[in-house]
Amino acid sequence: MNNMTTAQSRKLTYLGGIVLLLIPIIWLGLPSDGKAGSGGKLAQLRSQYELGESDLGDVDPSSAAMNLVLLGMRGVAVNLLWVDLDKQKDMKRWAEMQAVTESIVRLQPHFEKVWEFNGWNLAFNTSAEWDAVPDRYYWVKAGGKFLKRGVERNRKSTHLQYHVANVLQKKIGIADESKDYRKYFRNDPDPKFNGGIDPEFNPDDLDSYLAAKAAAELACIKEETRPQHILDRSLFRSMPARCQFDYAMVLQKDGKFGEETREAWQLALNDWTQKYGKETFRVSIADELFDIQLEMNREDIKAFVKSPDDAVKLTRAVESYRRMVNYYYWRMRGNAEADRETSEAHRDLYEANQFYRKQELEKARASALSGMTTFDAVLHKKGYEELKDEDTLVEECLLGIMVWEDTYRISNERVPDEFPLKWLKQERLGNESTMQNVSRAFKRLFLDN
Amino acid sequence: MSFDPHPLLIWFQKLPNGGYLLGAIPVWFIIAGGLALLVLSVSAVSVFVTHRGAGGKLFLRELSGCISDVLSLSPRRIGALAKLTFLEAYRRKALAVFVVFALLFMFAGWFMGDSKEITNDQVKVYISFVLRAISWLVLPVVLVLSCFGIPEDIRLRSLHTVVTKPARRLEIVLGRVIGFSLIGTVVLLVMSSVGYIWIVRQIPKTAKDQGLLSCRVPVYGSLTFLDRAGTPADKGINTGDLWEFRSYIEGATAARAIWTFKNMDASALDSEGNLHLENQFTAFRSYKGDMKRQLLFDFKFINPEKPIAPNQPLTFTTDARQVNEFRGVTDKINRKLGREGDEKTYDLIDDFVMKDGSLIVEVSCIDREQYLGMARPDLFVRRPDQPFYIGYAKAVLGIELLLILVTIMSVTASTFLKGPIAAVLTSCLLMLGGEDSHNFMDELVFGKFKGGGFLESIYRIITHMNPTTDLPDNPAFVGMRFFDAGLTNFLWLCKQVIPRLQYFNMSDYVSNGFDVPWDASVVPSILVTLGYLVPCVLLGYFALRIRELESK
Repeated sequence: MNNMTTAQSRKLTYLGGIVLLLIPIIWLGLPSDGKAGSGGKLAQLRSQYELGESDLGDVDPSSAAMNLVLLGMRGVAVNLLWVDLDKQKDMKRWAEMQAVTESIVRLQPHFEKVWEFNGWNLAFNTSAEWDAVPDRYYWVKAGGKFLKRGVERNRKSTHLQYHVANVLQKKIGIADESKDYRKYFRNDPDPKFNGGIDPEFNPDDLDSYLAAKAAAELACIKEETRPQHILDRSLFRSMPARCQFDYAMVLQKDGKFGEETREAWQLALNDWTQKYGKETFRVSIADELFDIQLEMNREDIKAFVKSPDDAVKLTRAVESYRRMVNYYYWRMRGNAEADRETSEAHRDLYEANQFYRKQELEKARASALSGMTTFDAVLHKKGYEELKDEDTLVEECLLGIMVWEDTYRISNERVPDEFPLKWLKQERLGNESTMQNVSRAFKRLFLDN
Repeated sequence: MSFDPHPLLIWFQKLPNGGYLLGAIPVWFIIAGGLALLVLSVSAVSVFVTHRGAGGKLFLRELSGCISDVLSLSPRRIGALAKLTFLEAYRRKALAVFVVFALLFMFAGWFMGDSKEITNDQVKVYISFVLRAISWLVLPVVLVLSCFGIPEDIRLRSLHTVVTKPARRLEIVLGRVIGFSLIGTVVLLVMSSVGYIWIVRQIPKTAKDQGLLSCRVPVYGSLTFLDRAGTPADKGINTGDLWEFRSYIEGATAARAIWTFKNMDASALDSEGNLHLENQFTAFRSYKGDMKRQLLFDFKFINPEKPIAPNQPLTFTTDARQVNEFRGVTDKINRKLGREGDEKTYDLIDDFVMKDGSLIVEVSCIDREQYLGMARPDLFVRRPDQPFYIGYAKAVLGIELLLILVTIMSVTASTFLKGPIAAVLTSCLLMLGGEDSHNFMDELVFGKFKGGGFLESIYRIITHMNPTTDLPDNPAFVGMRFFDAGLTNFLWLCKQVIPRLQYFNMSDYVSNGFDVPWDASVVPSILVTLGYLVPCVLLGYFALRIRELESK
């Protein structure tokens, strides 16, 4: 009897304890009914800081289930997976590495660095381990798609959105294999896409630079509500316009010199001066905060400040920002390239290379001379003087000269002493790196198809 | 392939210096015999200490009792005890593990990527998932059941009713081992059958038709290298990989990788007379070069026993072929070989296989200043494939053997320890049995680690002494080294008792599309299991015989 009473009272004590513990649990964890300020403390805080699963991004039920099942062991599990991942990477076990990466992001779906690191790892490190270009592209794409999924799971993340743009612009656009990558971006080498796009990677069937620009624009929009810590803000926000410049340049590289290319340059110039140039950046000058724009002229600055001293300070601040992003150069380049004359000069030099490759020497000589003459005029135009410091352009001109001179040598003729752009050649003769690049490009004329 | 299967040395091997390298069975006899001697010596000493003059008689009586128990084993009684153990495990709801298994397989597809993109790698993930999930579910269940069986019987005194029957204690231990192994086997068979169906269903027919669910049968050779000057070398060049599994040969130099395949004859050819040579070389470019094509290499068959001119052996060089990284590529070499500038046709088997059955294949990289990476298993002769279920069944056999080993160790531990402690001991032995921990212990035992042994490393840490600095030469440090050497030798002894579990992991073979080799995995696993069965059961019997069953 006594035992029974003891057991009963013990059970009642347990019950009392459970009820007592339930009170704070209910106070903390009561779900919200959807109205602002409703629900328990956790629901209110979640709503206040927008930390709910659906606020952060798409909800993945398997990820949520996995996290729940692991209870407090998520950290341990993730650590073990990271150790595995590192080992698999060293041992080049790519399939297992990809599977472990999937498990990690299911356990840490809102840890942005995890997406960033693994996306980078796939796109930049794993791809470089492969020899065949289509294989390399497969991993670049895997990294890009992985980052895109990261963005879907973390819609507000500025960093991840930036990295998507970064893979599209720098890995696909600037890598040594960029010519193939850009082709594959629109004509995937995987047979299951029948030579078309991979809809997950390039849903809008855009050029990689234009896709990068769209991603960068999104990153800039997100940056307005969630600051980034990757680049100085002025550099970060220049990315969409820089992608447009890259696009225009690559059109020229591909031998397109028509209206499409000129319009691309015009759009780049507008993006640079009318959009990016009108962006507001907050700078601090002697404990005071000022809002500046890179397109500000003296009148704008004067209208903005209270004293001439402030005007001087603000002018210096604007100048330093312009130097940081190379503002003048890109404005001038945009202006020059949007010019019909420059566009024709590019076309002439490009055609000279093509004729030379086919050994149509007369045509090559005429085209090269025409291009050189036009460029000579462009580079002497007021406001375009700095173009002569632009390495890519200079190398293009010097290659044109080399082709032009060689047409004479092949025909056993004497190269004329005077020719357009002679001054540029003499200026750059001592620059070993430029001359090496030009001679490499000259040799490549015979190799490329 | 990223692993290198080496056949286990079972008996012995004659070394070039005239000595012998002992294989698994002689080493087992030495260690098991040594341990038996140790146990008998300790028992004899303890009996003499406790019973003084009567000790000798008592010891001999116990010894003869043990021998008589061993000799009078009854399969019927063992069978009955095994049946009881099976029923007991069943009543303890061991089969509840199927619930977790069902849950895992219901949702596995969620975590395993898109079935539309079935690739070789994806198949690899499916197979390793199934085999790993089965191991991780079955082994803990068997471990817990086996560790708690005998201690629980002792606690509830149900063992008293058994030991008062004619059943001998050795039969109790054996009955337990067999009973728990049986229930584990039933669970394993059900799970592996479901797992097999799951794998086959996950992989579409088109992928199966492409041979993604394969079971290749490789014949590996031995690998040697020539450096860029053509001098024999142990390895090629390391191009910066952290993992030194593969080494590289330089293109357009005298650097070569030379494989020698033993026991080659016409049976290695397919019905059309082709030799299937599968390679998985990797490429390293010191400069990008022409990215439109992959690096080139060729095979050269050599028979030094058939010179076509003085100092010029018979050779045949294949056409250049492109490296196809991280994927196995099979080249079919027809047995009829025509050499350039030679009207005669040579036969791959008759003319290139040497008298001792060896076939020499030399690989060279053709591209200048580029490198080709390879390890021993990166080139092999591929015999006709086995059906996938053969490899899968062998992998399941690997889990079954591990399950039996776990049961043996757990039941043995439970004869002299309480349930939880026995479980901890067995888990520790399993954790230490992995390849990494054995390699780590090898490094400790053979002094590969800088910084010395236990006391020396403590001394170095406290005094901030660099591991490369020599210790002072005085009696204190000599003593310290002596003590460390003793500890290291003790670690060596402990290491011999810890099972090597690397052989049991056969899932790597199957998931990589290979058959499980008998000599490098199946036979060693069986030997390890048998190797533990006899001493463990005897130890368990001995412990149960001297155990005071009234003590809970």
